[in-house]
Amino acid sequence: MATVTLNQAEKTYPNGFKAIHGIDLAIEDGEFTVLVGPSGCGKSTLLRMIAGLESISSGEISIDGKVVNKVAPADRDIAMVFQNYALYPHMNNFDNMAYGLRNRGYSKADIESKVREAARILQLEDHLDRKPRQLSGGQRQRVAMGRAIVRQPKVFLFDEPLSNLDAKLRVDMRLEIKNLQQRLGITSVYVTHDQVEAMTLADRLIVMNGGIAEQIGTPIDIYEKPATRFVAGFIGSPAMNFLDGVISDDGKHVTVGDGVMLDIDHNIAGGRAVVAGIRPEHLSIAQAGQGTINATVRMVESLGAETLVYLDFGSKADNVTLRLQGTHNFSKNDALGLTVPADKIHLFDTESGKRL
Amino acid sequence: MKRVQFEHSAVPYLFIAPQILIISIFFLWPAAQAVYQSFLLEDAFGMSSQFVWFRNFEDVLSSASWSRSAIFTVIFSVLVAVISIAISLFLAVRADEVIRGAKSYRTLLMWGYAIAPPVAGLLGNMMFNPLMGDLYKAFNSFGFEFNHIQNANDAAFVVILIAVWKQVSVNFIFFLSGLQGIPKSVQEAATLDCKSAERRFWTITFPLLAPTTFFLLVINLTYAFFETFGIIDVSTKGSPGGATATLVYKVYVDGFIGADLGGSSAQSVLLMIMVSVLTVFQFRFIERKVHY
Repeated sequence: MATVTLNQAEKTYPNGFKAIHGIDLAIEDGEFTVLVGPSGCGKSTLLRMIAGLESISSGEISIDGKVVNKVAPADRDIAMVFQNYALYPHMNNFDNMAYGLRNRGYSKADIESKVREAARILQLEDHLDRKPRQLSGGQRQRVAMGRAIVRQPKVFLFDEPLSNLDAKLRVDMRLEIKNLQQRLGITSVYVTHDQVEAMTLADRLIVMNGGIAEQIGTPIDIYEKPATRFVAGFIGSPAMNFLDGVISDDGKHVTVGDGVMLDIDHNIAGGRAVVAGIRPEHLSIAQAGQGTINATVRMVESLGAETLVYLDFGSKADNVTLRLQGTHNFSKNDALGLTVPADKIHLFDTESGKRL
Repeated sequence: MKRVQFEHSAVPYLFIAPQILIISIFFLWPAAQAVYQSFLLEDAFGMSSQFVWFRNFEDVLSSASWSRSAIFTVIFSVLVAVISIAISLFLAVRADEVIRGAKSYRTLLMWGYAIAPPVAGLLGNMMFNPLMGDLYKAFNSFGFEFNHIQNANDAAFVVILIAVWKQVSVNFIFFLSGLQGIPKSVQEAATLDCKSAERRFWTITFPLLAPTTFFLLVINLTYAFFETFGIIDVSTKGSPGGATATLVYKVYVDGFIGADLGGSSAQSVLLMIMVSVLTVFQFRFIERKVHY
């Protein structure tokens, strides 16, 4: 049970590379925070700084109100789950879970009951005598989770824990992690590059890019009101469509492609160059000849529950993705008219990428 | 139905033929010769020989100098193996932690690998030369009455020191690669679980290096048994009075200098048996405990 506070935390490597540029963050007690971003954005570095595996170049990180910059990792009362499990290969699974407890001087009986309890929760009771290499990937990850929960730490840290699992197991484990975290109520920080994991697990989502927190908010907030063009493109799958455009003189439309006017719901001075973002799921097919955007089908992907249509639009051949429920029959070079509600158009500044 | 094939083409045999030929000429034939000669008693000039069954073995086993050499060999080998493994493990762990200039450290520590045992022996010989040896003078100036020419323990110390020094770089390379084979995340998980670096080393790092350590133990014992010949021949020549003669060195001295071919062959056969037993023992009893 603890809060984690970052105050202008920065990380500069000895070679001068600045991995983290001054991040401020207050994680509340029991909150599930997810750090998401493309590889190299600094999300793992930030997590490792909280863990104490990376030093903090400047700024402060506190756990439960206590500054931990100089505190050894083992004394921070945190537990971490690694991407490749990081189990001790020479110990059986019981000892893997008991190792941290033994080093903290727990009594034998105490260790026994704590490990058995964790094994019961994670359904590992039958595997305690085995070595990690005798287990499947999913079971190994459970042992790694067990190693984290036996200590009942103040903070759980997850470093892409599901990336090494196959797709189906990943979904199961995702639910399991969420369940476990809610049941134990332990403050958690979770790093992933998978936006589905990010959206489903997070109480609060931090989208990182180039060592900066681009946006911090609830998953739905971030989906509905992305603060920057980067966030808009990163969250949501398939990615948001971006069209270069200019605000019309009356400020009520944005002109994209070959002079297509889209209604907008913003209050922006006319003549400004912008990027219009439209999510594939917010586009819909209009009656023949009535759509505002006229595009031709380039490719269709039918997923059963939904259909993704990739279209060429305008003389510059901008690509537009359309996401429809159910199955549809389109063939290449079909012409489609598309409409989009004014309140579903996101506008970003061409230069800064900031939301307008 | 699949037909079991017993007839193969001759090509594979052709491929292994050169290797078989080399092994036969340089290993199997001399070994067979040694076994044969160990049953012969030859006169000092090599003019005549007589088949004497196991008399050479009886002589060897009842000789005080052979038992002394055998005891020295065991102590020497164990000390060389244990000390050189310990030192190189320490150096490898330290060098693994170095971040700045790591490559220079590692290269310097590996350099010794390029030195041939006789050269190492020669270097040691010079350093312990009573007239100009720096180490000889240093030990004596500290107040030790160090004299490896007359004192058997001092002589043993010199041989062990040179043999260990020569072997440290080899062990270092293996330990360093062993350390780098331990996943970084396992080490990191351990830093979260255990505060004491020393305890972490003994509970995580060392057990994970066990296969490397076992391999090096075998290699180092073999080295101390056989390859230190060059070191001993150049530095102490087994003196004083055969106190630093390992079994291999004694085989050479008795056979080629003492011209007792039968006795020397019997010794080498005994050596072969000892090494086979040692190898079997190592693999059966120690290796079983080091795998994870």
